[in-house]
Amino acid sequence: MFVKGKTLGEVREHEYRTLSVLATSSGKFSIPELAEKSGLSDAAVMRAVMVLQENHLVSVAECRRTTVRLSAEGRTYAEQGLPERRLIVALKELGGSAVLSRVVEKAGLDKQLVPIALGWVRRKKWADYEAQTGRLRLTGRQEEGADEKLIALLKKQADVWLESLSSEMQDAAKLLRGRKLVLVDEKTDRAVELTEAGRAALKKGAGTVSEVTQLSSELIVSGKWRDVILQKYNIEAPVARTWPGKKHPYLKFLDDVKEKLVNLGFKEMTGTAVETSFFNFDALYTPQDHPAREIFDIYLVKSPKYGSIGASDDIVRNVKRTHEDGWRTGSKGWRYKYSTREAKRLLLRGHGTCLSARTLLKGLEVPGRYFSFARCYRPEVLDRTHLTEFNQVEGIVAEENLTLRDLLGILETFAVEIAGAEKVRLKPDYYPFTEPSVELSAYSKEHGWVEFGGSGIFRPEVTMPLGVKVPVIAWGLGVDRLFMMRAGVDDIRSIFSKNLDWLRKQRLI
Amino acid sequence: MPTIEVDYVEFEQMLGKKLNKDPDRIDEVLALAKAEMKVFDRKTGLMSVEIKDTNRCDLWNVEGLVRCLRGFLGFESGPKRYVAGKPVCEVHVDSRLKYIRPYIACSVVKDVDLNDRIIRGLMQLQDKLDHTYGRNRRRTSIGLYDFDQIVSPLSYSVAKPDEVSFIPLGFGERMSLREILRKHPKGLEYGKIVSGHPVYPILLDAEGKTLSFPPIINSNDLGRVTETTRNVLVEVTGTVDETVLNTLTIVSLSLVDRGGKAYSTVVNYPEGTSTVTPRFSSGSMNLSIDYVNKVLGLNLSVQQVSRLLMRAGYGVEKTGRSSVRVEIPCYRIDVMHQVDLVEDVAIAYGFNNIEPLWRKFPTVGGVRPEQGLLNVARELMIGLGFQEILTYTMANPEMLFARMNLKSHASATRIGLGPLVEVANPKVQTLTCLRSWLLPCLMDFLGCNLHVEYPQRVFELGKVTIPDAKADTRTRDVEKLAAVSCHAGAGFSEAKSCLDAFFMNLGLKWQIKETEHASFIDGRVGKVVADGCDVGFAGEVHPAVLEAWEVENPATAFELNMDRIVRIISHNH
Repeated sequence: MFVKGKTLGEVREHEYRTLSVLATSSGKFSIPELAEKSGLSDAAVMRAVMVLQENHLVSVAECRRTTVRLSAEGRTYAEQGLPERRLIVALKELGGSAVLSRVVEKAGLDKQLVPIALGWVRRKKWADYEAQTGRLRLTGRQEEGADEKLIALLKKQADVWLESLSSEMQDAAKLLRGRKLVLVDEKTDRAVELTEAGRAALKKGAGTVSEVTQLSSELIVSGKWRDVILQKYNIEAPVARTWPGKKHPYLKFLDDVKEKLVNLGFKEMTGTAVETSFFNFDALYTPQDHPAREIFDIYLVKSPKYGSIGASDDIVRNVKRTHEDGWRTGSKGWRYKYSTREAKRLLLRGHGTCLSARTLLKGLEVPGRYFSFARCYRPEVLDRTHLTEFNQVEGIVAEENLTLRDLLGILETFAVEIAGAEKVRLKPDYYPFTEPSVELSAYSKEHGWVEFGGSGIFRPEVTMPLGVKVPVIAWGLGVDRLFMMRAGVDDIRSIFSKNLDWLRKQRLI
Repeated sequence: MPTIEVDYVEFEQMLGKKLNKDPDRIDEVLALAKAEMKVFDRKTGLMSVEIKDTNRCDLWNVEGLVRCLRGFLGFESGPKRYVAGKPVCEVHVDSRLKYIRPYIACSVVKDVDLNDRIIRGLMQLQDKLDHTYGRNRRRTSIGLYDFDQIVSPLSYSVAKPDEVSFIPLGFGERMSLREILRKHPKGLEYGKIVSGHPVYPILLDAEGKTLSFPPIINSNDLGRVTETTRNVLVEVTGTVDETVLNTLTIVSLSLVDRGGKAYSTVVNYPEGTSTVTPRFSSGSMNLSIDYVNKVLGLNLSVQQVSRLLMRAGYGVEKTGRSSVRVEIPCYRIDVMHQVDLVEDVAIAYGFNNIEPLWRKFPTVGGVRPEQGLLNVARELMIGLGFQEILTYTMANPEMLFARMNLKSHASATRIGLGPLVEVANPKVQTLTCLRSWLLPCLMDFLGCNLHVEYPQRVFELGKVTIPDAKADTRTRDVEKLAAVSCHAGAGFSEAKSCLDAFFMNLGLKWQIKETEHASFIDGRVGKVVADGCDVGFAGEVHPAVLEAWEVENPATAFELNMDRIVRIISHNH
């Protein structure tokens, strides 16, 4: 590296070319301008500028600029006028007072825009709306506001610097940003200028030495590399960032859970997103008139409404009888009239237990351990703790003479193997299809107590009608909560995060 | 799950145990009734308690909750027994109700001392019962009245929609039954239960005064219970005899538990039969001790099981060397099977006192057969520099078609992306169907990351759902892989070169063949054919699509049907 005060004799090629461009004018240059005029790449200019800056031959001013431009919706309004303006124009044409619906019709305004237009008309005090009569009446002067002026400006100019606008227009930009009509971007620009030292050094004049930046194949093959000096780099200079391809952090976590389950002897079950009521509810002894089956708790398929049950008539008859009077299960049953048609109703599965029900009916091995990772659906409004679509990890264990002790053993093993628990706590729980039912909380130093698993022994009303003669333990794991704790997020929506930056920055360990 | 509001001070008093407002201790106690404290408002002293069991109607008020907990805590043993005094009221049932709402049961609870809190608890209980056990009033509905204003015998009858009018609860003016169904909030909510019939149920007293229009609304005069009400008439109508009686039991007992004295009512049915309600008689079930031990994996004696059952609030009578007859109190309407008794034995014994057992039995674990190949595909995409993403499988037609420059369902169907599997009851307008392809989800993702550093390369391996008339569920899930690369220099050759690497590593010969697909630029899109089978498409994304998602850089993408690729590979091996 060369030091301050030395001559240009030691300046290398890229720096020299950059300086030469800077010397052509007394003004400032942006990096792209320098790149274009010097014929170097942006990155090469950037490196050269940093070297020159270190040696005080150039000065670099960083300035943040905010640009404002129209959004797609803003562009539409730039052509048609703001909805409130269109409303007012129409109202004027109608004589200044008219029923809202007529004004809307006259203005040719989309229905969904009416509340927006009306809101702004009132906020801008352009007109009064009498809710009782439904009439709109002009008041005030309906002058063109700064917001409309800005839209007109942006229509002509594509984008403008926020800083160059009057304070009134800046406020208008904020307002329009809130309405999502303009987009505001921040950019950092670098302005490079020759310093006195740089100008002086250049005046003294010098050529460049034959120094090589990029070692080329030609240099290697011809052996010329022996005759040139390979440029020393400023190895501390920042470089462009690289984002490697990576697994999604949640899916990676599920991979680990899956691997642990396989190692514990569990086999995977799969199924489809659309399920029949029979497997989602009936086979799991949930009565057909149960409130949880109403439209508020399950997504129903629009068309076709009904499928086929996918179980033999005998099995359907067993389930029907069990619901109606308990059949041979020793139960009193739910005591209502079971409908085979209702059993065929198609829906989006609300839990993964329907896969267990299918396994009980078909292909259950005894002893057998099974698990499933199922995408499930419930009509919820999304918030920090609710998703309308979520993944359930659950499964079953079937073996002669299974007891509640086995159930506790399974839960405890999961807690230790998967959640890394140091101790566990058990509480009575409720599921319509299991009895007894147990909830497990796991304790670890890192996260304290966390509800981690739910489990129960399938009721005889579930197993017997499906022809299963051994006890079957059903279990489910609260893996989402565990993931959120490990990833340090408290919003369940992060699982389906649309934030690429967040995904890129998730660590692998 | 029913959630009830409980006054903490009152709860502690009734429970007879100090919990010092300690949330952990409160939860530990509530857990015995499968209940959980959700919110504790220290200002008002009110706790929101969620009861998980949707069949335990007897726990849906503070009286019942405490009754259950005091047993498990050892303060009481065995069932609580109740009796109803001799009939003080009579009801005649009209034969025309047979196909509408045939059953009614009543009780009169006298000398109650009501206050605001008790009334609120009563309303809460009524609400939960109507909703859950009453199946939104279709199966049963409850009415409470000031008995002192009513003259027996009552008439449970029918009336034409315009024949009777009365002032409904909470309103100031008389309304006909028809008007109630059209205007009253309860009429709008529950009207469909009766509106299909030419006549509606009506409950009148001996003087012709209206008590209520079951199951819709009570009269504002007679059907209102206040702090000054001394004697309460409880009435339940419904479609199932047993359910009607059970509901009456639960509601009547909540008043009896507050110091009231229950009296009976005679109900005369049109066939000439009469019954006396309420019925506070216990049920019974035989229970074998072997069965208890078989389910729990314990070795309990008859004495131990008996003691635990008593703790759980049952009566017990020994009937053999290893069997007992269990007396099930009238309020335990949830017990259907011996296994329900066994669970209560386990709760009384304490889950944390049972030693867990992990048995080694020979099962071989495994993932679904295609998982291995899917993992290879994923690894390859990661190796090619793509970030894996996870998106919702629910979408909407606008996003799947219009924004992808597919002008109509028909044009989407032509290229195998329709028809869509839609839901009948979407919650939000943006999630109305299952996706039929992945690329729109990836475009949506790019549209959310306009200010994140480019190049952006993302992929998803996930399921789409398409109609399939041959399947039981009339649909089929297909595993797909889609990837998109978006940056200033993105072009067709990048996608093609990725696919080259992808198929080479899977050992598959592949070709790209000209095709038309409106989501891509004409002449820069192709069908991906592997081993002679159509497995997807690749191309440069059409600017109209980029514009629709407000993406400002060119993008190149491909989408593959992994089920087909897996099939080809397993066939080759």
